[in-house]
Amino acid sequence: MVIKRLICSLISVAFFGTGMLMPVQAAMVGTQAYLQTSDRQANIAIVDAALLRSDVQQQLADLGVDVENARQRVAGLPDRDLARLAEEIESMPAGGTSLLAVVGIVFIVLLILEVTGVIDIFKGR
Amino acid sequence: MRAAVAAAGVLMALAGCATGPSIKPTGQAVELTEVPFFSQQRYQCGPAALATVLVDSGVRVSPEDLVPLVYVPDRKGSFQPELKAAARRYDRLPYVLAPEPAALLAELDAGNPVLVLQNLLFDWWPQWHYAVVVGYYPDRKQLVLRSGTSERRIESFRSFFRSWQGAGNWAVVALQPGQIPASAAPARYVAMAAESESLIPASAMALVFEAGLQAWPDDADMAFAAANHARLQGDPVAAATRYRQALRIEANHVGALNNFSDLLFTEGCIASAGTQIAIARGLVPAGSPLDPVITATAEAIEAAPQTQDEGPLCDRLTSSSFRR
Repeated sequence: MVIKRLICSLISVAFFGTGMLMPVQAAMVGTQAYLQTSDRQANIAIVDAALLRSDVQQQLADLGVDVENARQRVAGLPDRDLARLAEEIESMPAGGTSLLAVVGIVFIVLLILEVTGVIDIFKGR
Repeated sequence: MRAAVAAAGVLMALAGCATGPSIKPTGQAVELTEVPFFSQQRYQCGPAALATVLVDSGVRVSPEDLVPLVYVPDRKGSFQPELKAAARRYDRLPYVLAPEPAALLAELDAGNPVLVLQNLLFDWWPQWHYAVVVGYYPDRKQLVLRSGTSERRIESFRSFFRSWQGAGNWAVVALQPGQIPASAAPARYVAMAAESESLIPASAMALVFEAGLQAWPDDADMAFAAANHARLQGDPVAAATRYRQALRIEANHVGALNNFSDLLFTEGCIASAGTQIAIARGLVPAGSPLDPVITATAEAIEAAPQTQDEGPLCDRLTSSSFRR
């Protein structure tokens, strides 16, 4: 119960408010628009790298989730969700051999899947 | 599956408790005794805290002046974007610190009071509070804050950093235009400048970009941002110089390639514009968010009636007389 609440509040903090800012269709790219798109590319790369880890792919396979599908969905996430995911992944303990790191990765994978709509485990009954 | 999530959640939570923020500040105690104090009225910690940092940075303002700008009566509080917006109204740049204790302490070391958001209760029952950190004592593991009605509130590292973490480690300093924060990183600084660009007078923004380029002469995004600013201010020669600077640092900077090309096109330097945009087109895959803009620029250039550099400024825009 407490756990569920923790997770729900995590989600609501993490993924509240989105809205993708595309550069306007003009010949000059504004500084802010450019910075957001380049952040976006960097964040996609971070999340993608996590999805390509063998331990993460193992977890995805165990859950019966198609990796390619998940990667495509990640590429379509709104900027803010993507930034948040990348931040979570970046803050993981380095190395990735400890139990904690693996559990952390699983947690992130589940978050990714929730956000991308592959599964909806966090929407409790 | 639910169990797996729960297990992950528990372990993550435990990890959070076990590690916590590890703060090992060394060196001198700092207390910025000259930072003014404004006692908060009722729930109005936002205006009081903001006035504290603004006055310290040389603005003549009182919390009462700020109430209509930042205080939301229904919520009995203020929101972070409004605090930032209000700082800009007084020509100060709100620089949000990297969310780490080290950044906060570095600002104090440099003499900058830091406006912080704290959560004084729990994640699930938050009580938000704004205060200003004005000093710290490493030996006693204590911080000094202007907070609420207390002019010199002492908080332990442990309790402060927990309440601060509860608010996402949100902290901001109010910069004078041209001032570089002690903890600054170029990406954060240039993002701050871009966010403030249309809200602060152009002359002040010029100082912001100048200082940024001086601090980080090898940052392509900084040069790109400064170039865009110069262009919007109607200075094509300065803009071209900065675009070329950005491209010397990072030859594949797609934003600089596109904007430099667009500038050259606008000034009638069609051939040079075509050269730049061709490079950009080769770098950006279809479906990239920048693809539509680059395609638009390229199509405009292709549709141009002439194909030469005929504009009067072309020589100056394309020559590398930058080090003059």
